[in-house]
Amino acid sequence: MKTLLFLLLTLLCFKLHAQSTISGKVIDQQGTPIMGANVYLSGTYDGTATNDNGLFTFETTTTGTQTLIASSISFETYSKSSDINNFKNVTIKLKDDVNTLDAVTVNAGTFKAGDNAKVTALKPLDIVTTAGALGDFIGALQTLPGTSNVAEDGRLFVRGGDADETQIFVDGMRVFTPYSPSANNIPTRGRLSPFLFKGITFSTGGYSAEYGQALSSVLLLNSISEPQEEKTEISIMTVGLGLGNTQKWKKSSLSLNTSYINLAPYQKLYPDNNEWHKPVESLGGEAVYRYKFNNDGLLKVYGAYSAVDFDLTQEDINEVNGVRFGLNNNNHYLNTSYQDFMEKDWSISTGISFASDQTKIKLDTADITDTENSAHFKLALKKYFSSRYKLNFGAEYFITDFKEDYIANTIENEYKFNNNLLGGFAEADIFFSKNLATKVGLRGEYSQLLKEFNLSPRLSLAYKAGQNAQFSLAYGEFFQNPKNEYLKFNTDFSAEKTTHYIANYQYVKNKQIFRAEAYYKDYGSLVKYDTDFTLPTSIYDNTGNGFAKGLDIFWRDNKTLKNTEYWMSYSYLDTKRNYQNYPTQATPDFASKHNASLVVKRWVEDWKSQIGFSYNYASGRSYTDPNTGRFLTEKAKSFNSLNFNYAYLISPQKILYLSVSNVLGTKNKNGYQYTDQPNTDGIFDRRTITPAADRFFFIGFFWTISKNKNDNQLDNL
Amino acid sequence: MRTLLLVITFIFTMNITAQTSYEKGMNKAFALWDQQKNTEASQLFERISAAETDNWLPPYYAGLIEIVSSFGLKDETVLTTKLTRAKEFLDTASAISENNPEIMISYALLNTAYIAFDGAKYGMTLSGENAAIYQKALSIAPNNPRVVLSKTEWDMGAAKFFGKSTVPFCKDIERAITLFEAEEQTIPYYPYSGLERAKAISTECKKETSPKN
Repeated sequence: MKTLLFLLLTLLCFKLHAQSTISGKVIDQQGTPIMGANVYLSGTYDGTATNDNGLFTFETTTTGTQTLIASSISFETYSKSSDINNFKNVTIKLKDDVNTLDAVTVNAGTFKAGDNAKVTALKPLDIVTTAGALGDFIGALQTLPGTSNVAEDGRLFVRGGDADETQIFVDGMRVFTPYSPSANNIPTRGRLSPFLFKGITFSTGGYSAEYGQALSSVLLLNSISEPQEEKTEISIMTVGLGLGNTQKWKKSSLSLNTSYINLAPYQKLYPDNNEWHKPVESLGGEAVYRYKFNNDGLLKVYGAYSAVDFDLTQEDINEVNGVRFGLNNNNHYLNTSYQDFMEKDWSISTGISFASDQTKIKLDTADITDTENSAHFKLALKKYFSSRYKLNFGAEYFITDFKEDYIANTIENEYKFNNNLLGGFAEADIFFSKNLATKVGLRGEYSQLLKEFNLSPRLSLAYKAGQNAQFSLAYGEFFQNPKNEYLKFNTDFSAEKTTHYIANYQYVKNKQIFRAEAYYKDYGSLVKYDTDFTLPTSIYDNTGNGFAKGLDIFWRDNKTLKNTEYWMSYSYLDTKRNYQNYPTQATPDFASKHNASLVVKRWVEDWKSQIGFSYNYASGRSYTDPNTGRFLTEKAKSFNSLNFNYAYLISPQKILYLSVSNVLGTKNKNGYQYTDQPNTDGIFDRRTITPAADRFFFIGFFWTISKNKNDNQLDNL
Repeated sequence: MRTLLLVITFIFTMNITAQTSYEKGMNKAFALWDQQKNTEASQLFERISAAETDNWLPPYYAGLIEIVSSFGLKDETVLTTKLTRAKEFLDTASAISENNPEIMISYALLNTAYIAFDGAKYGMTLSGENAAIYQKALSIAPNNPRVVLSKTEWDMGAAKFFGKSTVPFCKDIERAITLFEAEEQTIPYYPYSGLERAKAISTECKKETSPKN
């Protein structure tokens, strides 16, 4: 008995103290030793860190099958189960973690804003505190290269494309009417208020196969998934009032935001060169409701309403009394999206967006009513095979139902069309290594109106050449159905088409970004017609074409000057097209050859103030002087504007904000208008089109009421 | 009888040995941390965490070390890598122990590390998040001295930023000290520390409130 027990105990003790040695080497994919990697047996305390030569050795008392783990920062964790005796002199090769900040990113053509982005061109605050942007995030984007300054329009003109070639998406769903309507020669504003969004991706070309119906550019906005706290926000401005409120519950939250703008008092004080019968008055409301399901699912419902009303008489060289223009617009927009993560690394996102827009225009004696109802349905699935390989595919359906009633004196006409489109896409993200990645996609679209199917391939490639530098290339074909103003008169078209070729170089080092991008865009199948204006009787075809090529440079530095950030953009654009009613290939009047901007912001601690300047320059745009007999060959004066803004934090929750655009009062010219008929000397007279006002002042007081006394509306400015 | 006793003793000893390997590991990790061997300490906590899958303390400390050692870093890549790793550890810890105020305030500290690195980039989103974290932590554990201390420090930082007096917050610091002193320290390796920091802040407070000559 005793002997047996002794034996048993000895055995047990032996087992207890039986030590085996685990040893080996940890290297990366190039064979370089990794030091400081954590190597251990899972579930035990036995392990160690590798030395300078990547070598490790440790003792263990465990036996049998064990799991050896090796983990190190910026590498994927390695694990292998085997009998303990096999873990001797093992060589462990760790794979680069492609999700780290220093891994390559496929980014040709794209700017990201927000703190989730690896390389942030614009920070969240920049969207709203850029001088001259006046709280409109479109204004801030216009300080990025690739955009052309078209002061009298206000919309995004990207790389030789007109404003309709850019599409805007919220949570992956299309926004059909993103801009508020405005009168001729008065810049429009985006309808969406910037502070409901968290991440912004602005692509100036070569974008993902997930997005279509945009020839030049897409702007992707993600709404905030979870507000941080309950609060009420009050804004009192020289141009109107605003009120916002956020409520939070256990699983859901609701944010409401309303604004009332009336320019009447402002225009009394600072009359501009228009004769206003009814200054701009607008009422807008937005609401976002979010619900989190138990299984990680997230439902977002975004709804917006806006109404705009104004009436004015604008100078016109052909009309002694000017042209009277009145507008009344009602816009409803609803966007519902749902996202969920499922088993086996699948995720789903689906959504519906719906827009109903009615515009009533009074143009002298004519009454025009445009009604547009549009919807977008989308379902996309994503499969995450590994951090190195992801697949994204889906289908979507667009409906646009357009109707125009035109009543003038005795004429009454109705024009309408249904522009329905089915789209499908598939795209793979592949990382070959931490330094080489590609995105390959294909998009197909069938237009029921045009009875046409188009297939667009998309490809981008990125290679990281060093610790801070990377090169990217992108290619893609893009289709877009002709604009409503053509479709209402004629539907016998093909889709308009562009092909993008992009080469990008990026250098990022500690709070400094340098980016240079060269591109070539080939336009085909552009719509042409044979009259001065689009008319029901015009003859339309798809024989237009054109090109755009250029170079975009961006430099941002948050490092060199203390408390000061600045960025500079320069865009060179060479573009010509023969479309619409152009008699020959010419540079369109919205494109300027050189565009540059400089934005500087400085936080002054002692004054609790942020002071910002921005300077915009655009070389003169082309116009037609009928006296020369040539088409779009003359160049107008260049555009210059120095803008200033100042935000003073009275207390953490009270902010005073002042902004002046075009401080120097530079007399900019938006173009010229010539008489239809020559005068008695046989010369066509002209009138200079100047901005409605040279300067614009804005003073606002913003007050936030919340439990947390530090939150404020600085992000709204 | 003797045999039985021997066997029992043996089994008992084995049990104790098993227990002390946790203690041995934790003690060693704290010793490494004390010697500023942050990587080694964090790695050991990581190994313990892999073995003790139902104990939130090892991943909590593994994360905390990464956070604390990322203050003052100049390279954003390194910072983000460290803090991403730290967040994974904290996520592991909070999956084991939900609504734990100690873990919650570590998340706030993690955000603070980002804000300290680049206020313009991270301040806007993360400072609101922090305020919400402190609010929630305080509602769960109104008498937790570390929650009271770190929330007060955060508020004092904001007041300083706006050039306001931090004096009104001194009473909260005093309250934290009282709570620290009353706290019963029963759980081994629980992060009870903070009293010394509270006292240091309190001394500063007294300097500010006493009349200057």
